[in-house]
Amino acid sequence: MTMRTWGRLGIIVLAAVLVQVGVLNQIVIGGAHPDVFLLLAISAGLVAGPQRGAVMGFTLGLVADVFVQTPYGLSSLCYVLVAFAVGLAAGMVAARPTFGFQAAAALLGGVGGTLLFAGLGTLIGQPSVPQHQLVVIVAVVSVACVLLANLAYRLLEWAVAVAPGAHHDAGAFAGGSAR
Amino acid sequence: MTASRRNTSQRLTLVILLLASITVITVAYKGEARHVVSSVRNGAGDAVAPVQRGIAAVLHPIGNLFAGMAGYGGALGDNQRLQLEVGQLRRQLIEAGQAQEQLDQLRSDQNLPFADGIPEVLGEVISSPSSNFDLTIEIDRGTSNGVGAGMPVVSGAGLVGSVISAGEHTAIVQLLTDPRSEIGVRFGTGDVAVAVGQGEGDPLQLQDVSETSVTSRGAPVVTSGLDVAAYPAGIPVGTVSSVRHTGGSLTSQVLVTPLVNLLVLQYVAVLQWFPPA
Repeated sequence: MTMRTWGRLGIIVLAAVLVQVGVLNQIVIGGAHPDVFLLLAISAGLVAGPQRGAVMGFTLGLVADVFVQTPYGLSSLCYVLVAFAVGLAAGMVAARPTFGFQAAAALLGGVGGTLLFAGLGTLIGQPSVPQHQLVVIVAVVSVACVLLANLAYRLLEWAVAVAPGAHHDAGAFAGGSAR
Repeated sequence: MTASRRNTSQRLTLVILLLASITVITVAYKGEARHVVSSVRNGAGDAVAPVQRGIAAVLHPIGNLFAGMAGYGGALGDNQRLQLEVGQLRRQLIEAGQAQEQLDQLRSDQNLPFADGIPEVLGEVISSPSSNFDLTIEIDRGTSNGVGAGMPVVSGAGLVGSVISAGEHTAIVQLLTDPRSEIGVRFGTGDVAVAVGQGEGDPLQLQDVSETSVTSRGAPVVTSGLDVAAYPAGIPVGTVSSVRHTGGSLTSQVLVTPLVNLLVLQYVAVLQWFPPA
């Protein structure tokens, strides 16, 4: 990735931190709030493919974990898997993912990522979340992911400067642009 | 790049990243690295606190609106019930005046510990739980204000939780409903138990309550302050919401509804009290 790409990603991550801790954490619905970092990890998989998406997911997780009290690195583990899975799914589509595909990826990524986080958290000794609360968290996170999917996709597309339809090319990262 | 080479490369990257994540979790969980992570988190909390404070001032009313909308149906019924209670409370207030005099006399006679005399630091909640999987809030007071890890946090109604981490200008408070929260409590006719959080919106569960314990729905539950308790004695925690005697067991299941509405907290007080060593 070029310096310009890193710079743009840095701006997006900084904005994500401010949006998450400043705004989204205050909008609590049924005890749950949206997760912008998970959304960005999903979008990273869509835009950059499984390999680079996973790298971005890992980085996003490290940043996200600074602002929560759950075990450090747990978000990275989840985001890597989510971004990779979404990237693989996006690789099966030849053209630029449609709005519907983005929404579906956001929905499934939101559900899968949240359940993965809860499951892995329990596995490493975190207290388990009551089932009814987990349902609320999954619903809030995944719906928010769907609503913001296109915006996040466009932002990451801008960050890695990927031409439409070229989102799976390694060149997008190697050279900074596939255009 | 051929498809197979690309697949191999992708899988290799995935494995490396997964191993890196597991390594980070393991390293950050124990020893010196844990303190480093804690310091970084506190520093990051301090750094974004001004932004949070500004946005919180604007968004608190909106957050309250969401919470209010969620509980609107119940609020109508609550309103009627509360009007009845106001009348009862006015009567009790008069009686309480006399009782307070007796209580003060008893305290001074027996030197009973109580939260009243403990200095406190008032703070504003600048962030709701930062993760959907841990029940913590962030307040705008830190070590520079005399706030430290382990200190109890209360609101006007009762116990909120305790400080688990403090930066220079901010602190993280673990709510009493967090499943990791354990509070020594006294209830009924002087029985003691441990109240354990069960998650957002759920009542606390009292552990190891003997079947012979006498308590009833609505009975008050306060911190016990026994021995090495994490809280001073006498802080109101909640009221008993359910008592169930299970057949064949020597224990009862007692649930406690917290007095504090943790969803709409805006101001809290940190008690400058440390658990005894």
